[in-house]
Amino acid sequence: MRFQDAAVDARAVVYAGIQADRLVARAADLLADASSGQRLLARAVMNGESGDPEAWRVTFPGLFAGTAASDDRDRSDAILALSLDVAGRGEQVRSQFRGAIVEALTARLLARRVPAGAVHRERRILFDGVRAEIHPYDVTVELPERAEGYDCKWGARGIGPDVLLQLEAARGHAEAEGSRLLVALVMFDARRSCRIRLARQTAPLAGVRLVTLETLDALGRSKAAPSPAVR
Amino acid sequence: MPSNVADAVERARSAMAALRSLGEQVADEWQYVSDLEAGWGERLASVAAARGGEVLTPAAAAAIERAAAETALIADPHRAIDWLSTFPQVVLFALDEPG
Repeated sequence: MRFQDAAVDARAVVYAGIQADRLVARAADLLADASSGQRLLARAVMNGESGDPEAWRVTFPGLFAGTAASDDRDRSDAILALSLDVAGRGEQVRSQFRGAIVEALTARLLARRVPAGAVHRERRILFDGVRAEIHPYDVTVELPERAEGYDCKWGARGIGPDVLLQLEAARGHAEAEGSRLLVALVMFDARRSCRIRLARQTAPLAGVRLVTLETLDALGRSKAAPSPAVR
Repeated sequence: MPSNVADAVERARSAMAALRSLGEQVADEWQYVSDLEAGWGERLASVAAARGGEVLTPAAAAAIERAAAETALIADPHRAIDWLSTFPQVVLFALDEPG
């Protein structure tokens, strides 16, 4: 098993510009230390229509209440402002930013558990004698003794047979050659929505882990594993 | 404005039905949209069954009303699907319930 940078095509060049945007980095920094409620705020605002910050403060009263710790309130305000910035962009750009934010957040959290230099973006995983997949993994962890591959999605609707088959195939190829590869979906969506989506999928999923809005912090915890398997 | 948990759940389920109706226009996602409404509706119903008569705080009532009002702003079917998976979480959060 070995790793390779993804080919740089026109789509990749455009998307790399979004990945490098300071707004994405700022979002990842804020969300890495956010509570699950603050992450839900970000999801709601970036999915929503209203551009009025006061409307969102009413929707999430506990995050902005005078009784909340001032650091938490400041973080909620910063997440709200940033999320409104993303939401205010055109539909396509908003979608691209949301995806890039989930990837950057995943990389930030993983870097709490493994050396930052072991965390990579947009990499292909190659196996001897196996035709390489075209689509790169959003985030990988590449260590001498083991590896991890993550596909990151803003919402459960992004889960489909192609991504599941690619993850499961990579895990199977690694196992066949005696390598250790953990594969997981990282979803910025509720576990329930992901389960509902996965319930209709027929792809083999036994070895694919699922990380959701409620369990993102597990990515950074020392006992390697994003929580339970997809099924 | 909902006054108790049962009212809040009823308000939420009504808003979810409107989102489902809009989201169903995305033909390829009809099943997912239907499953989302059913799955989250079941979770909300379980909250109403356990706490239905509980009076809402003014802040929680306003939060749920505002979240429901947000659904009425959604006009795009794809956005409606995003909101159908997000809105019930927001309601549960306002009710201090896990997803």
